[in-house]
Amino acid sequence: MMKMAAETIVGEAEWEVKIPKKKFKDKLFFENLRDVVIDTKMCSRCLTCVSICPSGLIVNEADNVDFPNYDTKCLDCGACVRVCPRYDYQPKSGLGDYIEFTAGKSKRFKGQDGAMGTEFIMSAIDMGLIDRGLFVDRNELWQTDVFHARNPDQLHRLPLGGTKYVFANVIPELKKAVMLSKVGVGVVGTPCMVSGVRKLQEAFPVFKEKVKIVVGLFCTENFHYDEVSKYLEEKGVDFSKLVKTDIMKGKFVATMTDKEVKFKVSQLSSILPTGCNVCTDFTAVESDVSVGSVGSAPGFSTTVVRTEVAKKVWDYIKEKGNVEVGEGKIPELDYLIGHKKAREANIPGYEPKKEEGEGAGE
Amino acid sequence: MKKVGTPDYTVSDKLKTHAAALGTAAKEMILPLNITTHYPRERKRQPDCFRGIMLFDPERCISCFQCSFVCPANAIWMKEAPSGRYYPTLDHGKCIYCHFCVDTCPGGALRTTKIHDVAFKTMEEMFTTTEEMVEPPTIIREDETVVDYVIDKEDLSLKRTKEVDELIPDVPESKGVPMVSVCVDRGSCIACKICDQICESGAVSSVKDEAAMTVKMSIDAEKCTGCGLCVKECSMQILRLVRK
Repeated sequence: MMKMAAETIVGEAEWEVKIPKKKFKDKLFFENLRDVVIDTKMCSRCLTCVSICPSGLIVNEADNVDFPNYDTKCLDCGACVRVCPRYDYQPKSGLGDYIEFTAGKSKRFKGQDGAMGTEFIMSAIDMGLIDRGLFVDRNELWQTDVFHARNPDQLHRLPLGGTKYVFANVIPELKKAVMLSKVGVGVVGTPCMVSGVRKLQEAFPVFKEKVKIVVGLFCTENFHYDEVSKYLEEKGVDFSKLVKTDIMKGKFVATMTDKEVKFKVSQLSSILPTGCNVCTDFTAVESDVSVGSVGSAPGFSTTVVRTEVAKKVWDYIKEKGNVEVGEGKIPELDYLIGHKKAREANIPGYEPKKEEGEGAGE
Repeated sequence: MKKVGTPDYTVSDKLKTHAAALGTAAKEMILPLNITTHYPRERKRQPDCFRGIMLFDPERCISCFQCSFVCPANAIWMKEAPSGRYYPTLDHGKCIYCHFCVDTCPGGALRTTKIHDVAFKTMEEMFTTTEEMVEPPTIIREDETVVDYVIDKEDLSLKRTKEVDELIPDVPESKGVPMVSVCVDRGSCIACKICDQICESGAVSSVKDEAAMTVKMSIDAEKCTGCGLCVKECSMQILRLVRK
């Protein structure tokens, strides 16, 4: 097979690569990214640039994404600005297109609500659509870690499900998974990560070919571990006893084994990452299937099936009887969709188009 | 039922076989047929391709890591030299002398010798550094005779010659399997030019066209030595080594 490849490729070993336009012509691409995205506090820290940078030197620091010694180390290839969802920011909002709006409760997995994110990825593995699924796992201190699942049995011993409200290194791991995978990869991520994956797929065919299913999560905001852990400890949350975290009716609820800590979400604004401040996407419009707690009965996950791939997996899940189908209520999403759409005002120099006012439930 | 009878020897047959036996005994008494080499006073002549201790030529090494990748015993580790280049080190405690490293080296930096009789006192000593691989190890030689094994018909005999065998043979430089680097997914190329920067033979080129905002990439199959440096460094893992 290798020999065949050689015969077809050797001899015409020339190709052209298009590089993007610079907004600041005299500067390196990383400087462009820094000036347009990072310094303007637009960066969502989805880490797509970290994953693609060929030098591998862009790092996620405690307070922002940085590239130490970029002036000598940057290869000026433009990969970071090609894949950054915020470099040429086109904010998405609303409910987006969908084939089916429903709710489900997985019979196989336990999560925060219906564990439909886990169910979608694991069913895609069962179907043979993908051979690797990426999940965000956490340890006792609620620090996140990305877990590559290849077999449904692996999930029973891990506290995978459940909202973490903490950023994770998903996309750099996704690149590793794409390089290792022979069939395809499935990934679960927040709306900014979903946009990052779509940008990668747009720019590089290898991602288009390998990333088969992207599960988006409903997301109002996501926090950085250092900040949120300090804040919650001040509020009296003991991480060793913490069972789950959730946002319910405008209140942040941290449930522990012995008590509950509740406070208004608005109080978290002091540690709200600046990238979330300009994010208008609540439902992960660009995903294959969006999953979230809001919009369905307790114990169920609202499931927004958007693409044909996701529809196939959804039909497979129903056919195997792995899900209890519930009812999705679109109007319940209105408040949060509107809440996030209002952040358009925070985007520097952005003027919303008139047609884009497709609110939820229309 | 079949009965096995005694062979029907005539008197002359018996006399013939007895005489042959006495002849062999007399021959062994005067010129015994002994196929043991009297090492270390004698040394068996090994073929030039004998897989003994390897020698390393840093001038020819291009730090492509192929030897350490191919080593099935994981005996070769690459260590950074003061020059910033990476050179092999060899753990004789692990080495199985398969010489895959010698065969795979695209620059012919590793070569074989007939030296096999090196004694190490400790396990630590068996770990040879790059410097120690450049010069052949010192061995004490007491041999004055070279022994050749001669096989004629079904008999094996030894031929002893008064000479000292050269243990470092002058073998022609290994050409290896000609390989060439190719890009298997051009659409996913970032044009980061790492392959161009790393290539030592000037086979990879990247030319930036400022006006059209494109980078022209090309791999010259003629110049490519198939060392695999670019394959290893490509961040998108879209380069492969294939046979020329």
